[in-house]
Amino acid sequence: MRLAWLELRRRPGKFSVAVVTLTVLAALLLFLAGLLDGLFLGSTGALRAQRADVFVYSSTSRDSFLRSTITPDTRAAVEAVQGVDAVGGLSVTLLGAVVPGETELADVAVIGYELQPSGIPRPSGPGQAWADERLKGFGVGQGDTLLVGPAKTPITVVGFVADSNFQLQGGLWVQTDTWRQVQNQNRPDAPSAAGDVQVLLVQASPGQDAALLADRIDASTRVTSSLTKAEAENSLPGTKEQRTTFNSILATTYMVVVVIVALFFALLTLERTPLYGMLKAIGASSRQLFVGVILQAIIIATVAFAIGGGLVAALSAAAPPKLPLQVQASRIFTSYVILAVCAVIGSLLSLRRVSRIDPAQAIGTAQ
Amino acid sequence: MFLALREIQRAKVRFILLVLAIGLLVFLVLFQIGLRDGLIGQFIGALRHQSAPVVVFDVQARKNIEGSRIDAGTQAALAQVSGVGRIGRLGESTFTVSNAVSRARATPKDQLVDAVLFGYEVTGPAAGLGAPTTLSKGHMPAGINEAVASERNRADGFDIGDVIHIEPGGADITVVGLAADINYSVSPTLFVSWDTFEAAKRVRNPDATAVLPSVMAVEPAAGVSVGVLVANLAAVPGVVPLSRADAVAQSPGVASVSQSLNTVIGLLVITALMVIGLFILILTVQKSASLTLMRAIGAHRRTLALTLVLQTTVVVLAGVIVGGAMMAAISPLLNSIGVSFDLVQLLVVGAGAIVVGWVGSLGAVLRVLRIEPINATVPQGMLR
Repeated sequence: MRLAWLELRRRPGKFSVAVVTLTVLAALLLFLAGLLDGLFLGSTGALRAQRADVFVYSSTSRDSFLRSTITPDTRAAVEAVQGVDAVGGLSVTLLGAVVPGETELADVAVIGYELQPSGIPRPSGPGQAWADERLKGFGVGQGDTLLVGPAKTPITVVGFVADSNFQLQGGLWVQTDTWRQVQNQNRPDAPSAAGDVQVLLVQASPGQDAALLADRIDASTRVTSSLTKAEAENSLPGTKEQRTTFNSILATTYMVVVVIVALFFALLTLERTPLYGMLKAIGASSRQLFVGVILQAIIIATVAFAIGGGLVAALSAAAPPKLPLQVQASRIFTSYVILAVCAVIGSLLSLRRVSRIDPAQAIGTAQ
Repeated sequence: MFLALREIQRAKVRFILLVLAIGLLVFLVLFQIGLRDGLIGQFIGALRHQSAPVVVFDVQARKNIEGSRIDAGTQAALAQVSGVGRIGRLGESTFTVSNAVSRARATPKDQLVDAVLFGYEVTGPAAGLGAPTTLSKGHMPAGINEAVASERNRADGFDIGDVIHIEPGGADITVVGLAADINYSVSPTLFVSWDTFEAAKRVRNPDATAVLPSVMAVEPAAGVSVGVLVANLAAVPGVVPLSRADAVAQSPGVASVSQSLNTVIGLLVITALMVIGLFILILTVQKSASLTLMRAIGAHRRTLALTLVLQTTVVVLAGVIVGGAMMAAISPLLNSIGVSFDLVQLLVVGAGAIVVGWVGSLGAVLRVLRIEPINATVPQGMLR
C-alpha cells in the first residue's frame, strides 16, 4: 500500500496518461448525467411537486395533459370511489409570454391547480401567479405583469417558487379559473368548459395502496386512465426514451473506462514485471502487490473525477440558461462510485499477470 | 512493415484492449451521430419534407409548430403581402387513434396509439401546398378522410389500405399513400386534407369556436426569391416567417439536441485522440531500447516511423470494425428512436478515426524520429 502511494507521489507523471484520459471520460459521464437529470427534472418538476397519490386522465388521452378532459360528472364519480380522500384539478397550457422590458419571449407553462403542491403556496388571486425561478433567466421579476399567449392575457407574478417547471417551460401557477381564461383566450380550438379540468389529482385515504386505488377508480368510472405519481412522471412524452437512451450511453462509457484502466494497468504491470519480481523475491505477496494496484486505480479515478467534475462545473456555469444541465449531489456520488468500481474492475484484469510473476525469472529479466 | 504486425501478434492482450477501447469509442460516436440524426429526422421530418418553401409561425410559438396558431386576421394580412404566390393553411396536432394492429392488443390502454396529423390544402388555389414531398407508394389524399402515412410506421397499422380511427368516436381515415421520413415528434404521422384535420380537431374539442392553422404555408410568386418573400412577410405584425430549411434548423429541440450531442461527440473524439496517442506513446517508450538498437544496426528512421503509423492504422481499423459490428448488431433494437446502421456513416467515422489515430500517434512518431543510434552503445542511465 505504502509503496503504491509513494510511487504515485514521487512519479505522478507516469500516471498522467490514465488521469488525463479518465478526466475526459469523467467529464463526459457527468455532462451526460447532468443532461439526463436536467431534462427529467426540468420536465417533471410540476408533477413531482404534487402531494397526490394518483393522477386521473380521461381514457382516450393516452395520459397526455393536453388531450385529457375530466368533466364534473367524472370528478364526482372519482370522489365517490372508496379510498379517495381528496381530489383537485391540475391543468396546463404551454405558451410564450411577453416580459416587460424584454425583447425575447419567455416559454411558460400556465398551470391551474387546486390542491396545494409541496413548495408552492396556495393559489393567489385571479390573474396572479407564482412563477418558477427559471423565469428569472428571462428577465421576469416579482410584480411583473406578463402578457401570455397570442391573446396577451395578463398574469402578474406575485412571487417565485423552485423546481416547478413542466416540459422545460417555466411554471406559472394560477387559480384554475385563471388557467381556463388563458386556455380559452389563447386556444380557441381547445376550449375548456366551466368545471372541466385536464387531470384530476387524488389523495388516497391513509393506508391505501396507490396502484390499487388507481385500478379501482378506472373500474368505477370506466372513462378514466389513472396512474400513480411515478407512472405519471414517466408518462410525459419522451421521458422514458430519454432515460433509456442516456443510460445506455452512460453504460457504454463506463465500459470504455473499464477497458482504458485495464489497458493502462496491463501496460504498467508489464513495465513493472522486474520490479514486482524483485519485491516478491524479498517476501512481498501477490496480494500485497495487488492491493497497491487497486489503491492506485482508485486514486487515479478519484483525481480524474475531481478534475472532470470541475470541468463540468465550469461548463455548467458558462452554458446558456436554456441548456438543461443539472447535476444532482446523489448523481455525483453515484457516478464517482461507479467510476471507481470500473477502475478497480479494469485493474483486476492485471491480477493474473501479477500473480503469475515468478521472482527468479523476473530478477533474471531485470539483469 | 511485418515488424508492426508481428508485434501486434505477440502482444495480443495489450492490442486487444486498445482495439476494444477504440471499438467502444467508435461505437459511441456512431451511436451519438445516429441518435442525433435519427431524433432530428423523426422530430421534424414532416416539416423538412413538406412542399411549402416558406412557413409562417405565430411569434408567440417561438418557432414551435405545436404551439403556433395563426388567426383569421393574420391569415388575411399575410395573403396581401407582396411576393406571395400561393398561401394555404397547414395544421398540426397529435391525436389518439386506433387501427387494426393496435386493436388486436390485449389491454385496452395499448389499443390506443398516438398519431400526428398534418392538415394541408388539397383543393383550391393553394392545392398541394404543404403536401409531403417524399411519396414512395400510393397517391396523395384526393379528398376527405384519406391520408399519406409515414413509411416507417407501415407495420404498425399505417400501411396502404389500413384504416385509422380518430378517438373517441371520430372519423375513419384510410391510408392511400406512404412517404419516407415524414415523422413528427417521433410518432406515426398522417398528411390529410385540411377538412379532415379540422374534423379530427372537433372530435376532441366539440366546443371549439375556431380551428386555426398552426402555420401558413407560402409559395413565392414567379420571379420572387424565398429570401425576399420571407423579408416581406416579416413586416406583418406577430409572425415569424422562415424558409423551410430555417424552420427545420431553428425548431425548438433541434438546436439543443444537436448542441448537446455534438458536445458529447467532441468529448468522445478527444478521448479517442488521447487513448490512441497516449497509449501508442507508452508502447513506444517501453520499447525505446529496442528501437534504438534497431537504429544502431541500420534501420532507417522512416522505416520505424512508418511501422508505428502502420500499427496505429491497423489498431484503429480493427477498432472501427469492432465499433461498426456493435452498431450493426444493436441498431435493430433502436429503430423506434430512429437510430439505424449506416455503412457510409461508418466509412466516414472510420476515416476520421484513422486521421485521429495518426494525429494521436504524432508524439510517438516524433519520439521515434529523435532516437539516436549512438545511444545503443551507451549504458542506460548515462544519458539522463
